[in-house]
Amino acid sequence: MQLTMRQTKKAKSFITHFLLGLWALVCLAPIYWVLITSFKLPIAVFQGPKYFPWIDFKPTLDAWNFLLIGPTSAAVYRSWANSAILATTSAAIAVIIGGMAGYALTRFRFYWPGLKWKNTNISFFIISQRMLPAVVIILPFMIMYRIFGLIDTHLGMILAYTVFNLPFAVWILRDFFAGLPVDLEESALIDGANRFQAFRMIVLPLAAPGLIATFLFCLVFTWNDYLFALMLTFSKASTLPMFIAGEGTQSYGPQWWYLSALSLLSIAPMILISLLVERYIRRGLVVGAIK
Amino acid sequence: MGDSAPRMITVEESPTTKKDRRVSYAFLMPTVILILILSIFPLLFSLALSFASWDLSRLEGGVRFIGLQNFATLISDTRFWDTAKNTVYFVGGAVALQYLLGFCLAMLLNQEIRFRRFFRVVFLMPMMLTPAAVGYLGRMLFNESMGPINDIIKHLGLPIVPWLSNSKMAMPTLILLDTWEWVPFMTIVLLAGLQSLPPEVFESATVDGASDWQKLRYITFPMLVPVSITVILIRALEAFKLFDIVVVMTGGGPGTATETVTMYAYTVGMRSGNLGYSSAIAYSLLVMVILFATIFLNSLRGRAAAAEG
Repeated sequence: MQLTMRQTKKAKSFITHFLLGLWALVCLAPIYWVLITSFKLPIAVFQGPKYFPWIDFKPTLDAWNFLLIGPTSAAVYRSWANSAILATTSAAIAVIIGGMAGYALTRFRFYWPGLKWKNTNISFFIISQRMLPAVVIILPFMIMYRIFGLIDTHLGMILAYTVFNLPFAVWILRDFFAGLPVDLEESALIDGANRFQAFRMIVLPLAAPGLIATFLFCLVFTWNDYLFALMLTFSKASTLPMFIAGEGTQSYGPQWWYLSALSLLSIAPMILISLLVERYIRRGLVVGAIK
Repeated sequence: MGDSAPRMITVEESPTTKKDRRVSYAFLMPTVILILILSIFPLLFSLALSFASWDLSRLEGGVRFIGLQNFATLISDTRFWDTAKNTVYFVGGAVALQYLLGFCLAMLLNQEIRFRRFFRVVFLMPMMLTPAAVGYLGRMLFNESMGPINDIIKHLGLPIVPWLSNSKMAMPTLILLDTWEWVPFMTIVLLAGLQSLPPEVFESATVDGASDWQKLRYITFPMLVPVSITVILIRALEAFKLFDIVVVMTGGGPGTATETVTMYAYTVGMRSGNLGYSSAIAYSLLVMVILFATIFLNSLRGRAAAAEG
């Protein structure tokens, strides 16, 4: 009896690990495929699938050479730099401004008589913007940006992405601040610090994990955006997803080896971030949804 | 989204309250003002546009208000209805599949397992990747003659699948790709939900001799309903916006078999330059989203009330 129970437990554990391993394979195989394709010669692509470098095809750096020092390399570097600048700047601004709002919504009591809005209504108003399909607001954006000369500028894109990220930042950070004890701030306030000092010196350091997680998620959202970039940029402020989509829909057909390398330029930083962000995820992304 | 009111009371009662009123707005208003200018204003602008005729190539030429004409056109526009159908098909298929898989994976992860951190990092990865690159990835993997998926199917002795060239298969293929990218979101949130369940309930159920299946059916699943509603709603609202993956993977094809409402609004607005009609299409998507959210939440609430009463 004892033995069979242990046996079933063992069998169960084996099946669990087998299924988890299978899904891990499903997650990783496509990434592996882009990686090896970026080292293939055109012939190794067109002859049908080849799976293992050195065994069924000879790896080459041709695609990477073309990407990094070829005729289009300047455009590649520019889109990469644009993506990086826009993503980090707008994520940082969204975390600062959104963090302030999130803090205010947990520490002060608001009441807007005209609308009869209290804190929960204000929070819902801000967070609901996240659910708005971007296509509804994108045309007015484009028209306004044309009028004010913001089209295809870094400033314009940073503004657009900040607003795009704000609802998420407020949502997550509000819940995060709600979970922080108020005693420390209170004693600082009693000791004569003003609210901004207390926020900067006491609340922000305590909230560092939440701020970092929120920053990283906003960074990812911005880095991955395509619709805003497509509508509001064409060259100077154009981003990496724009470049990828543009190359992938060329009429002469996709240059798979080159596009794989290009995709990796976009994917690799995100893979690094997922290694970083995993530990924060339960405190960051999840708090909001669980409540 | 809980109310965190109780925690505010101590600060509210502290001696700085009067000055706090001004300070509180200094904290809140930057966000509110930015959202008013760059989200609410465009939203109203777009609504106004949907009742107007305005050409992209002649922005200075001015706006002409044409009342409900755009919406009248919309009702008889078969291409719009096709894109609406495609979008709903996609949302239903993708969200259902993602929830199912996400739930199973969360159940598997919520056990004593080895390499826990490895699995969590790897399972998270797909949702972090750039959709434009993922769309292209799908195009490569599902390619019918040079892609690895059909090659593996062939080696297994099964008939190869016209993933992208067949207009009936293109949407399921798209759903598969989107599922690959977004199962992680479901898994992470549902796993956190599972971990927040009180262990005592399961212990007493075990003592009472409940089987694993009974525990799942009568304890785990009902207790996860609130989290499930949230994840399904969030994912569905995101799925309604589908744009980047399709643009790159199928370009809406074959024909218009995978064209979504967002894509159609984009094409009408930017390619044909018909800003008014494009806004009307976009607004109809907003109406679809709001309708869906309302019906979904109300029907669940109704069912929950019926179950309790």
